[in-house]
Amino acid sequence: MIVPLNTTKIGEQVRVSCLNCTSEDTCRLQELGCVEGATGTVVYNQKNIILQVGECRLAITHPLAMNILVEPVSKKKSSNL
Amino acid sequence: MSNLTINVQKELLRQPSTIALVGNPNTGKSTIFNALTGLRQKIANYPGITVERKMGTTIINGVLHKIIDLPGAYSLNHKKADERITYETLIGSYDHEEKPDLLLMVVDASNLERNLFLASQVMDLQIPILMVLTMSDIADERGIRIQSQQLSNVWGVPVVSINARSKQCDLQIKQALVEQGVATPKPFQWNPSKPLRQAVERLDREWLSEHTQLPERARPIEALRLLAEGNFEDSFYQYSEEGKAKKLIEELQNTLEAQGENPTAAEVVQRYRFIGDSSEGSVTKEQRDEQTLTDRLDNVFTHRVAGPVIFVLVLLVMFQSIFSWATPFMDMIDMLFIEFGAYVSSSLPAGLLNSLLVDGIIAGLGGVVIFLPQIIFLFLFIYFLEGTGYMARAAFVMDGFMTKVGLHGRSVVPLMSGFACAIPGIMATRTIENWRDRLITIMILPFMACSARLPVYAVMIAAFVPDKRIIGFLTLQGLVFFGLYLFGIVMAVGSAAVMKRIFPTGKPTPFLMELPPYKWPNISSVVIQSLERGKIFITEAGKIIVAISIILWVLASFPTYEPTANDLADMDANRQMSEQMLSTLQLNQSYAGNFGQWIEPAIEPLGFDWKIGIGLLTSFAAREVMVGTLNTIYSIEETEKQLGLIERLRSEIDPETGLPKYNLATALSLMIFFAIAMQCMSTLAIVKRETNSWKWPLVMFGYMTVLAYFSAWITFEWANTFLLG
Repeated sequence: MIVPLNTTKIGEQVRVSCLNCTSEDTCRLQELGCVEGATGTVVYNQKNIILQVGECRLAITHPLAMNILVEPVSKKKSSNL
Repeated sequence: MSNLTINVQKELLRQPSTIALVGNPNTGKSTIFNALTGLRQKIANYPGITVERKMGTTIINGVLHKIIDLPGAYSLNHKKADERITYETLIGSYDHEEKPDLLLMVVDASNLERNLFLASQVMDLQIPILMVLTMSDIADERGIRIQSQQLSNVWGVPVVSINARSKQCDLQIKQALVEQGVATPKPFQWNPSKPLRQAVERLDREWLSEHTQLPERARPIEALRLLAEGNFEDSFYQYSEEGKAKKLIEELQNTLEAQGENPTAAEVVQRYRFIGDSSEGSVTKEQRDEQTLTDRLDNVFTHRVAGPVIFVLVLLVMFQSIFSWATPFMDMIDMLFIEFGAYVSSSLPAGLLNSLLVDGIIAGLGGVVIFLPQIIFLFLFIYFLEGTGYMARAAFVMDGFMTKVGLHGRSVVPLMSGFACAIPGIMATRTIENWRDRLITIMILPFMACSARLPVYAVMIAAFVPDKRIIGFLTLQGLVFFGLYLFGIVMAVGSAAVMKRIFPTGKPTPFLMELPPYKWPNISSVVIQSLERGKIFITEAGKIIVAISIILWVLASFPTYEPTANDLADMDANRQMSEQMLSTLQLNQSYAGNFGQWIEPAIEPLGFDWKIGIGLLTSFAAREVMVGTLNTIYSIEETEKQLGLIERLRSEIDPETGLPKYNLATALSLMIFFAIAMQCMSTLAIVKRETNSWKWPLVMFGYMTVLAYFSAWITFEWANTFLLG
């Protein structure tokens, strides 16, 4: 099931499915390691989001998080790219 | 993964060379730069833009080398002005920067994959490199172990692991450069897929090599960027036959898609895939379930409620400390300049030269140097907090509120600094990445009530606001004082909301920021950076401030006043007052005095007379000068008994009406005028420096003066009608 990043819960592991934002934001997210297929952990979700992808901790605002589509994955899986 | 033979070059360092530091933001790059160069550094803006160029020198094995600290970048796909400079410098096409002979590629060991993304792009440019691994202690804490030798074998460049917080980190790097040397990496080590490689080669062959001036080694990187973005808007390239190129790129993008590649992500995904795969032999990570220090601190510092509360407490401690620590130094500087002025004044014969030196140049210099303690203390705090990783969190927790008022989370610290003084606040806006957000923050920052407004507020409130108790310990005077601070904030927020709609690049900046791990910063780097900020202020803004001080001195000193026989008789009768009387008479009939009388009709609707008009001109040197000027003007009429300025203002009678000349309405109008007007040449000088143009200080002066005029007018009319009517 694919959902926007802002609907996820703290501690949930997710796999990035689709970056549905402007090309500039998409490029920046990708360069920071948030590429499609990468898995990460939601560290904080109180409107704005903190997503840990690999060793990189990304602070993402609500409007941007709405355009990042992710697929929740089970906790056991590795968080490496 | 095949190991490469490293072609080590050591001879490069036997002659003077240009060494550039390249790396992601928050990797310890600036710390290394500070350690290598110490105070032998020069910071200035690159021409035409507001990105800073940091250059310094260091000696390695008896040879003097230039060190350039290139702006931190996440990639070479140059979307932002600072990343573009890094890119253009590396490919040798930037006119205002030297082409580096070798690179120190700074890589954060605790976040290796992300950092190797930029490193892999840089390595495609085939410049001799030494890879410097930093943050090994944080990597250790996270259970990450890196085999430097393995990493070196994979990428074909020497690798050294250093502790950037150690005092000897410069020695570690110098030793590595001497012993391990540098090596020129081979391009395309990340094994791009066949379709991507073919697309790059065709774009290079059919267009870039024929129609651009790019060096051969830079063309594949540019081809990758164009294939991903198709963006031709970069003004720094004069592409000829752009239409032909667009068509070719579209065709290549379609071909890539037909071959199952996503053109916008192919490069990034393939680089990351190679980095991930190649790390298997060189990086090991223990799976740890316990929380890291960063996790534990973030639970508190980014908490919805605790986060903002802690931030406000940090600011309180910061400004209280700046206030209490800077004040003694400021008093000392003030005293030194007064003493020095008095010494020069008594050593030279009285006359124009004496007055120019004492009242023009020394007073002007004193006016510059007095800001230094506040600037240095503020930057010590800012660089320390930045170094710990806390500033990114502060921006994050404040972003929601700041976005509502049209600003960015990072605007909050500079704005709060404005309560002490607008100058360090404006200098601190450099932490705001987006130019529009930074400009709006600069343009509204002078509304925050700085400490120089205090003397004007204090005199006016004491003279005209009744000392009436309202509730408990609150008095009407205290409330008016508080109201003026609040008024400044409301004006700032309102102006930001308006400017957000005016400025053309008004699309909202989404908050996407890396939160670096918490760490203890390198204190000597913090000190060096803060001293550099002080140096920039003195050398760059100082020149303008001293020049304006001399102009103001000319306006107040010419034409010179020749005392009449009556004046001389008066002075004989009252010798104590003679010098003050002369200076008052001089001021009254000087160009400044004439200016006051000339603008009187214009400022009359605000309740001001020509005496306040002179003050408006002279207080342009610094707001608090207003009080000094009024003191000088009123000293003339005090022959029999000496009244304080407050009493004198209260007892001033309008000769036409016989009523008190100044009242509560005048006081409120003047305070509102001072709360808004851009009455500070030092602020304008620093805005010129930070925006790299005279346009913005002039716009600032214009809009604030107009706004101040009309607000003071409305206040005067309102107070006369509703408070005194």
